[in-house]
Amino acid sequence: MADTETDLLRSSLDLLVLKALSWGPMHGYGISEWVEEATESLLLLEEGTLYPALHRLERRGWITSEWGVSDNNRRAKFYRLTSAGRARFRAEAPLWHRHAQAIAVALKRTSMETA
Amino acid sequence: MNPAHPPGWRRLLRLPLGARSIQRDVDDELAFHLAMREEKLRRLGLPADAARAEAHDRFGDTSAVRDECLTIDRQYAREVRLMEWLESLWSDFQYALRTFRRMPTFTAVAVITLALGIGATTAMFTLVNGILLRPLPYPDSDRIVRVIQSYPEIGLDTWGLNQMNVAMYRDRATDFASFAAYRGGSVTLQGPTGPQRIPIQRVTSEFFRTIGVGPAIGRPFTADEDSPRKNTVMILSDGLWHSRFGGDPSVVGKTIDIDGQPYQIVGVMPPHFAFPRPDVAAYVPMGLNPLWRFGFFNAGIGRLKPGITPEHAEAQTTKIMWDWARQQNVAHASVDPSKTRMKTIVKPLHEALTGASARPLTILLAAVTLILLIATANVATLLSGRAAARQREITLRSALGASGRRVLRQLLTESVALALLGAVVGVALAVGGVRMFTHSSLATLPRIHDVTIDGRVLAFTLVVSVASGLLFGLLPAIHAGRVRLTSDLIAGQRESSRGASRRVNNTLVVTQLSLSLVLLIAAGLVLKSFQRLTQVDFGFHPDGVTSIALPLPQRVASDARRLNTFVNAVLSRVRAIPGVQMAALASAVPMSNDGDYDGFLIGGRAAPPNGNEGQTYRIGVSPGYFQSVGIPLLYGRDFAVTDDSTSLRVGIVDVSIANRYWKGAEALGKRIRTTGDTTWFTIVGVVGTVRDGDPALPPEPHLYQSLPQVGDNPLSLVIRATASNGSVIAMVRRAIAEAEPAIPLDDVKTLTSVIDQTFATRRLTKLLLGGFALVALLLAAVGIYGVMSLQVANRSREFGIRLAIGADPRALVRLVLGEGAVLAALGVVLGIAGAVAVTRSLASLLYDVSPTDPVVLLGLPLLLAAIALAACYVPARRAARSDPLSALRAD
Repeated sequence: MADTETDLLRSSLDLLVLKALSWGPMHGYGISEWVEEATESLLLLEEGTLYPALHRLERRGWITSEWGVSDNNRRAKFYRLTSAGRARFRAEAPLWHRHAQAIAVALKRTSMETA
Repeated sequence: MNPAHPPGWRRLLRLPLGARSIQRDVDDELAFHLAMREEKLRRLGLPADAARAEAHDRFGDTSAVRDECLTIDRQYAREVRLMEWLESLWSDFQYALRTFRRMPTFTAVAVITLALGIGATTAMFTLVNGILLRPLPYPDSDRIVRVIQSYPEIGLDTWGLNQMNVAMYRDRATDFASFAAYRGGSVTLQGPTGPQRIPIQRVTSEFFRTIGVGPAIGRPFTADEDSPRKNTVMILSDGLWHSRFGGDPSVVGKTIDIDGQPYQIVGVMPPHFAFPRPDVAAYVPMGLNPLWRFGFFNAGIGRLKPGITPEHAEAQTTKIMWDWARQQNVAHASVDPSKTRMKTIVKPLHEALTGASARPLTILLAAVTLILLIATANVATLLSGRAAARQREITLRSALGASGRRVLRQLLTESVALALLGAVVGVALAVGGVRMFTHSSLATLPRIHDVTIDGRVLAFTLVVSVASGLLFGLLPAIHAGRVRLTSDLIAGQRESSRGASRRVNNTLVVTQLSLSLVLLIAAGLVLKSFQRLTQVDFGFHPDGVTSIALPLPQRVASDARRLNTFVNAVLSRVRAIPGVQMAALASAVPMSNDGDYDGFLIGGRAAPPNGNEGQTYRIGVSPGYFQSVGIPLLYGRDFAVTDDSTSLRVGIVDVSIANRYWKGAEALGKRIRTTGDTTWFTIVGVVGTVRDGDPALPPEPHLYQSLPQVGDNPLSLVIRATASNGSVIAMVRRAIAEAEPAIPLDDVKTLTSVIDQTFATRRLTKLLLGGFALVALLLAAVGIYGVMSLQVANRSREFGIRLAIGADPRALVRLVLGEGAVLAALGVVLGIAGAVAVTRSLASLLYDVSPTDPVVLLGLPLLLAAIALAACYVPARRAARSDPLSALRAD
């Protein structure tokens, strides 16, 4: 269902943004390109959903923004991880791994039996 | 700090915080994304308009995204602004504290002044809050009402309920969810340690349901126990349970000896239950007899059904009362009760309990508010003296780029910080003061046990102190905030700005003087009426008289012969004790309110249309009573031992009754009776009138009867002794115990202390108001002293020069005194005007003193003016001693 997918996407999107910014400052478009590429276009998300996520993360103090100039000489808003954001990413990423793995294992089970 | 913000968050201040720039940023950011995408699609070969459409399509709902971002950013901006504001406020506050540390004397004086004002205000508000504002501690207490009756035509403005009234309101007033009645009394509790007299309440069974609080252990009374012979059950108060039964829960169900009869304990009330009075030791069913038409001693309480007003219940119960009166012929047959002012009075219980204290408390709260204003003005003066000294610092900060508003805020933060320091000390003072007060003998106010410092009091203190900080900060701060840079950075240009601060200070001094005069005059009026009141002739001589309550065992009281024997035995034994001048027994000692009120009729006169001649206070006394208490016997004779149950019924009236129907001694031999009795009493003596209640009210008519002929119980022994020392009382106790051992003798009072108690609330008002007026006077004197000192210090150069060129030092003294006199005169005139305007509201506290009493209205202003001038004299002398050289050296 669409709602389920949106919720799932929102929390994973936050983590992806933090991951993207761990390489260095990026503008919103750059982040969306990176996410698309890194997820091999498997996440079918509307590009616009990225921006509320960015603004929310900024309000929570995990990323900060600054106007700068893009590669093609346009004025663009660049986002950067704060130290709090870095800490958050380091704490969150392993949790996500374990979570995803646990669900994947469970979904692969073929019988009702318990070991 | 909010942990959501990283330490370096202030860098974010470079972010747009204004509404318009937030919008522009979001629009720019989204446009950049769309443009980049469109460009990339075009590079992949899409035509321009297809590329734009595809970019928008992949982006999703642009306006929804925009709105969401805007909402987030606006919230964020708000948070950042708030944090910034709080942070700079905090830094201003810290700066203020550093400033205070640099000037400890100023800070101490200001904090102490404020602490006095704020502490007094907090303490007073604590009383007002606990007594008047806080709801009674019973569930849905706003629905509980007290029911009494009124019949002004027969002299009964307030009148209790008889048992028949109680039963009919209980059974017929549908406005009440439940209705009960109570009346005070006392019983003798026999125990292993001897008899103990305890104050009790006799209640009907619905009492606990109506008040909404039941026993913590055991059960309430049942409807069955309302019946007269089934009422031998008792519910203990928590206090008696602990003091007498050691808090043992198994006491419930046990039987104890009350007035010689076995009573079963069925319950224990929870701690702190204090209705109708905190000293109630136990509750007993009154044994309601619905046919009993006498003894209007009960108060009713009702719990109104939801949505019913007390007025509605009053109308309903009044109608029930009229029906009853028609049937009983309470009013004379020719007058229908609906044509009289006979009615019930149904008032919210809270108002009924505390109504009489509302006015004194409100006036005292107003008085402390004046003190706080005076203290605030004092600190404003202090601050303005300092503001002049700090002019250069402020000018420097302004020059460094601080806006006028910024400087103003810094100064106001300082004042509020000062006020908060004052509040901390003030609350500590208030806590101590309130605790001392509620534990003292002065604390005779209702609900005093409910008085504590709670959240509302602290909130009040916070508001009051911040307001006072803003107030005293504002006057000098506005002035300082207006400092012009150019003129002030040039040193020496100080006098001009001082002109302005002087006007501010003069205004403050005049305000202080007039406010303190208002308080002084109010206190003076109250003080004078108190004096008048204590000089009132009570009609008896209380000095050296002690009364001991003597509740007689029923077997003695109900048997005329045994009573007579007991009375004669006790009196002869007690009178034989050395040091005892006279002793007597009476059913009520003066001011005790233990006697009965009853209508009376005069023999040979037809009964008036309303059924009686008026109300009389009826007391049964033994021979020697008038001599013991010091009431003069004007005509005829005192009662004699022979006036007993076997002889002619005799009475003694006071001279007000005698002169109303006859003239003095002509009353002797005439007959009088009460409406509650059919026996006529022949008047054998006439005595002086006695004030037996509120001394501010005129004396009431008294009818005395011979004790053995009326058999009252309980009695009091009154003793006039040469020395009211403990050994006489000890011998008296022994003498009584020899005559009858089953009488508890714990209630011993001197008559002067009983009179003192009737003055308690007035004395309290007088003491507090007088104390407040003194504090106000002191503060105002300090205020005018401070201002004149400041002005003399500011003008020391001018004075020095004047002296150097040969001015007479005495002329300088006169100059300064003259300026002080002008301020004092202005303050006095305004103060008198203010006093005349407000003392009208004091009228109900005054006795025999007009609110515009000339002695008070002229004498106290003179006193204030004299004190103000005295306070100016010290700085004036200083002016005359200004050193010409140091003045010239200044700057």
